Amino acid sequence: MSDEDSSGWQLTESDPGVFTELLKSLGVPYIVDDLYSLEPESLEALQPVHALIFLFKWFPESPDDEPGVGAGHYDSDFPGFFAHQTVNNACATLAVVNALGNIASLHAGPQFMDLLNFTSGMDPQTCGMAITSADWLREAHNALSPPSSISLDGLDLSKKSEEAYHFVVYLPVLGSLYELDGLKPYPVRHGEYDGSGEGWVKKAREVIENRIHTYPTGALEFSLLALRDDPIPGMRRRLDALQGSAEDAEMSDLMNKISNENSKRERWAFENSSRRHNHIGLVHALLLALAKAGKLDSAKADAQRVMRERLERQRAMQS
Amino acid sequence: MSVDLTSTSGRTILAFKAGRAFRRAGTNFVDASPTKGAIVLTNEEGLIHFMWKDRTTGEVGEDLILFPGDAKLEKVPQSSWGRTYVLKFESSDQKHFFWLQDASTRRDEEFVTNLNRTLADPNIIAIWDARNVYPTSEASTSATGASISPPSTVQPVIPATSNPTPAGTTPEQLAQLRGIVSSMTGFTSEDELWLTDVLSSQNLLQLFQSHPELLSSLFPHLPPELIPSSDATPQQAVEILQRTTNSPPFRLAVAQLDRALRTGALGEFVRSLGLPESAAMGVGAFLAAIAEQARQEGGTEERMEED
Repeated sequence: MSDEDSSGWQLTESDPGVFTELLKSLGVPYIVDDLYSLEPESLEALQPVHALIFLFKWFPESPDDEPGVGAGHYDSDFPGFFAHQTVNNACATLAVVNALGNIASLHAGPQFMDLLNFTSGMDPQTCGMAITSADWLREAHNALSPPSSISLDGLDLSKKSEEAYHFVVYLPVLGSLYELDGLKPYPVRHGEYDGSGEGWVKKAREVIENRIHTYPTGALEFSLLALRDDPIPGMRRRLDALQGSAEDAEMSDLMNKISNENSKRERWAFENSSRRHNHIGLVHALLLALAKAGKLDSAKADAQRVMRERLERQRAMQS
Repeated sequence: MSVDLTSTSGRTILAFKAGRAFRRAGTNFVDASPTKGAIVLTNEEGLIHFMWKDRTTGEVGEDLILFPGDAKLEKVPQSSWGRTYVLKFESSDQKHFFWLQDASTRRDEEFVTNLNRTLADPNIIAIWDARNVYPTSEASTSATGASISPPSTVQPVIPATSNPTPAGTTPEQLAQLRGIVSSMTGFTSEDELWLTDVLSSQNLLQLFQSHPELLSSLFPHLPPELIPSSDATPQQAVEILQRTTNSPPFRLAVAQLDRALRTGALGEFVRSLGLPESAAMGVGAFLAAIAEQARQEGGTEERMEED
């Protein structure tokens, strides 16, 4: 399988909004949020957290630099769900599927439940191929990515070179913390966690922080996401229950939180719409409007001036 | 800690339709492969990539990183069919054969000359000649629709040793080239501009505020979920337009169009916008064609003073 084989899967971005949209199309009532820190307070605010997604790009000095499994061990007898990444561009969706496949009592739409049933008992490679062969899943995934807009008789001139992030899922399965990496042969078992207090996320914090420290400074670009329950329904129910009570502080706090969540969803919805849209028609329409308004010439002159100034600065810096 | 993936790497310098041809083992014969493809020259982080891409699958069949001055694409004179070329290297004996696939031969020399200029010095900008785009005869050739099959006879190939100079370069073209070369310290001429600056946030806001009657012509081009409803106020409409034109995907589309226009390869694309093929010659030509389109559609304000 060559790197160029995308099998019809387009590369997506990895914003929380994109992941949450994917979850919606799978019929799963969770959301994905950015995690700005692994500190207890940050994680506490997002509980219950079902899985952590670590996404990263790193720039190795040599192929031998690749860190192994740290203090964990490959578990070839893993009883849960694990699929290999067989198509590079599907990496984001594959990570989500690997996480969801291990969540007990998952609520999901019928297509996804069927897919999980269908792949039950398969080895990781076959499982990965089955997942990436699901047309409906590929369509849901592709619906999240930008359209290709400029072509030369079939050749997409606007395509950027495919620089994918790699995704690794951390989640609890049967009392142990597991790392699911579609590019590794098996899931990695990082040992048991203490169910009290913070629970499994405490162990995840240690493992992830250790991992980050094994990379040479500056060689790693990464981000953390949390797969969690959608908090809005719960907050609304609580707010309803408090109506007429004297708990003003709590009610006001809840209303703020609900309002913040709604703003965030609105922003995600805007970004998703914008991301999926082919803007070239708008570019043309705007230029035409500028011309009709008699403003195109001055916009051009302006742009030429800005360019000259830019070049002047560049020359000044080089001399 | 959300990661922004909208930055592009890899700038397409030029592209034109071409197929590959392969030497038949043990002979000097070269067989053309019928696969529809294109030669694409890109600049990725300062390195020039000479790629051959399959136009039906989008896959990259060949990706060569070339050092300035090392390679050039030469016509194979022994090819009686006349459109076979070989990419040859100073630094090695390797050879890659190609055949031009555009239905019209009008721009063959122009594509190849610009390719070779860029391979010799990546800082040179491509020069597209208007005479190659405006056909002199009445019957216009459909330059992009027709498919072309490879020559069925096999061409014997004897490596050429001569260094052909581009024939028929007019004094005006030479002067133009000299003028551009002498004025550049980087890679642009005096009239250079970026589409992203023409469509700056400020310019657009001024347009929205001064010409509300033009706003409705923009709505159909917005993402469908964001199109203002019929009872939206002008303020709300301006807000939506502003938000959209300030968004990374929009900015990216403008930058992509800017780059793509510099490749000279967007003939079919600009026609789909209702513009003449000459609009594909560069950003300046594109804007001139749009100005003309605006005049034809009426509603152009021929005012001397600006708002």
